[in-house]
Amino acid sequence: MKKWLKENWEGYLFLTPWLIGLLVFTIIPILTSLYLSFTRYNILTTPEFIGVDNYFRMLSDKDFIQSLKVTFKFVFLSVPLRMSFALLIAMLLNRKIRGLRFYRAVYYVPSLLGGSVAISILWRQLFNREGLLNQFLSIFKIEGLNWIATPSTALYTLIILLVWQFGSSMLIFLAALKQVPEDLYDAAKIDGASKLRQFTNITLPMITPMVLFNLIMTMINAFQSFTPAFIISNGTGGPVGSTLLYSLYLYKRGFTFFEMGYASALAWILLILIAIFTAIIFWTSGKWVYYEG
Amino acid sequence: MKKNVILIISITVLLSLFAASGVFAQEDDITISFTWWGDTDRHEIYNSIVDMFEEEYPNIKVERPFGSWNQYWDKLATQIAGGNAPDVVGMHQRFVSDYAPRGALLDLQEYVDSGVLDLSHVPDSVKEGGVVNGNLYMVAQGVTTTGYMYNTKTFDDLGVEYPNMDWTYEEFAAKAREVQAVAEEQGREIWGVGDDSTLFMPQFAYFARSKGEEVYTNDGKLGFTQETVEEWFNYWKELRDDGVIPDMATTVEYTSAPLEQNLFTTQKTAIGTVPANQLWLYQEQFSEGKINIVRMPHFADGRPGEYIEGSYLAVTSGSDHPEAAARLISFFINDSEAQQLFMLEQGVPPTTTAQERISDKLTPVQQRIIDFVSYTLEIAEKSAYPPSGSTEVTSEFEEVAQAVGFGSMTPAEGAEEFMSSAEEILARNR
Repeated sequence: MKKWLKENWEGYLFLTPWLIGLLVFTIIPILTSLYLSFTRYNILTTPEFIGVDNYFRMLSDKDFIQSLKVTFKFVFLSVPLRMSFALLIAMLLNRKIRGLRFYRAVYYVPSLLGGSVAISILWRQLFNREGLLNQFLSIFKIEGLNWIATPSTALYTLIILLVWQFGSSMLIFLAALKQVPEDLYDAAKIDGASKLRQFTNITLPMITPMVLFNLIMTMINAFQSFTPAFIISNGTGGPVGSTLLYSLYLYKRGFTFFEMGYASALAWILLILIAIFTAIIFWTSGKWVYYEG
Repeated sequence: MKKNVILIISITVLLSLFAASGVFAQEDDITISFTWWGDTDRHEIYNSIVDMFEEEYPNIKVERPFGSWNQYWDKLATQIAGGNAPDVVGMHQRFVSDYAPRGALLDLQEYVDSGVLDLSHVPDSVKEGGVVNGNLYMVAQGVTTTGYMYNTKTFDDLGVEYPNMDWTYEEFAAKAREVQAVAEEQGREIWGVGDDSTLFMPQFAYFARSKGEEVYTNDGKLGFTQETVEEWFNYWKELRDDGVIPDMATTVEYTSAPLEQNLFTTQKTAIGTVPANQLWLYQEQFSEGKINIVRMPHFADGRPGEYIEGSYLAVTSGSDHPEAAARLISFFINDSEAQQLFMLEQGVPPTTTAQERISDKLTPVQQRIIDFVSYTLEIAEKSAYPPSGSTEVTSEFEEVAQAVGFGSMTPAEGAEEFMSSAEEILARNR
């Protein structure tokens, strides 16, 4: 022990700033929120221990059910869509075309801008009654709805926003595509395989590790999505709860209604939910992910 | 040896990072922060008043993170939770029960007693407005009531008679229909009035009170009936179905619009709701026509719905410099130049000295404000302060009203849904 310390103490000394950060900004808050989830805490007075009441409350909380419905719809629509787009564009860009670097950059920029406040405000302007989309539609004499403020369409504007950020996934797919050995395609062409056959039997299987990676990253990101929903619905999750994503609901409970204990419990349920889905994906991945060599 | 030198240098670098932060703070200078909500005109006024305060007290610097009403309350809650709330905060009776009973606001009595916070020129009835659960938590900046406004030019162009000061709910609906129909004939797209069905306070409050009911009773329960809620939703549904008021999607979209861009200012509606003290802000937005204010409608066989509203200043309990904060509030309402800059910004000023000083400086629109508030204050009664959980009740009302507006619930279903949710919310927060 003493010898190990004597040889490594400088390393640990250099690590201390990062370790302090990890402790203060990650570990301690996580443990605190676990504790708070068993309390009733209105931020302004001391927390009051109430056991598992918060967790039972969720079962009969209609807004909780609503936020689950909205979030599942959001995740299960936007993740496949985004990955499909990413793969499609990556395949299009995987050829020697002029301006390749330019196109790559252009498609990547949206994911840099992300679902930030500025972009979300822009998104409102695109999709509201007098927004760009409706102005475009009016050229074809189609009268557009108020997409942002109509319950049946509001969530789709959020889905489109997530899909629009496909650039980062696309870059990863591009890298994966480039690693597929050319001789596999050559062999297939000799055997007379069609383009579609080449795609389904060579390309897809060979990039499945990246599909797995993108799937998990995009899914986790989608479950946690907050800012666009907050800005577009003005903090309400409206209209009529149609954009009440889970983390927005959590925020409302904690900060708008001063129920931080319940919000903490909600946060842990989200963690468990994401963990379950990630575990399912990993568990089934053995069946469809192919690692070469 | 070399290894040790590198180590010593790196430790020094690390330590200096810690030291650099706290070295240059001086003992005497205090910095406090003051936040309020408003539009650009109001921000100018407040900033000027705070500048004057800083001149008078050179060792106190005031930071001013102000914003619009929409984001104000979420931001305040988050800041208090994070322990970095501003020292002086704008406060409103609709939200004070979220903060005061939970210890977020400072009891100001000791500063009144020590003379730092001078309330000697504030009438008792106005002072009472700042008392919650027996403690003085906030000081009125202004007392006001809510009404409906219209632009004389719009009505003149349409050839429609102006609304009555003391109109009933029947006359209100009729007038809105008239305006919309006449406008349509002239080929203009103007809605009669904005859709206020989603506003629990003050719109629905006036409706319920005029029927002899209450919003909240003194012991924190709901003071109105499900029938009243259903009647309310029906009232607005008829107007909506006939195209007299905007469709719910438009209403939702404009909920977060700033004053300069809302439905009334952009002349999409002919009549709009307004807290009396903001009348002059709207007048500024129009180059033609007078903006007049009339009362909220009432029931012919009922009582007036008016209750005293106001806007207040409070000090957060986490403040490091409560005395400086109390001093700022005292300056704000008592300093003669500040009073004359402030005029009627939040309604009739709280001090008799202010009322005297500004009486001969009033512009026509400000005179209209004072006349209106004085008139309605006479028939207004004090309303019980909302209990804990009222924010959620208000939010629930908005959501149910939207659902009714989109047609996913009938008024009857909406009323039932809202009543049971509201009771559950209040029970949970008791």
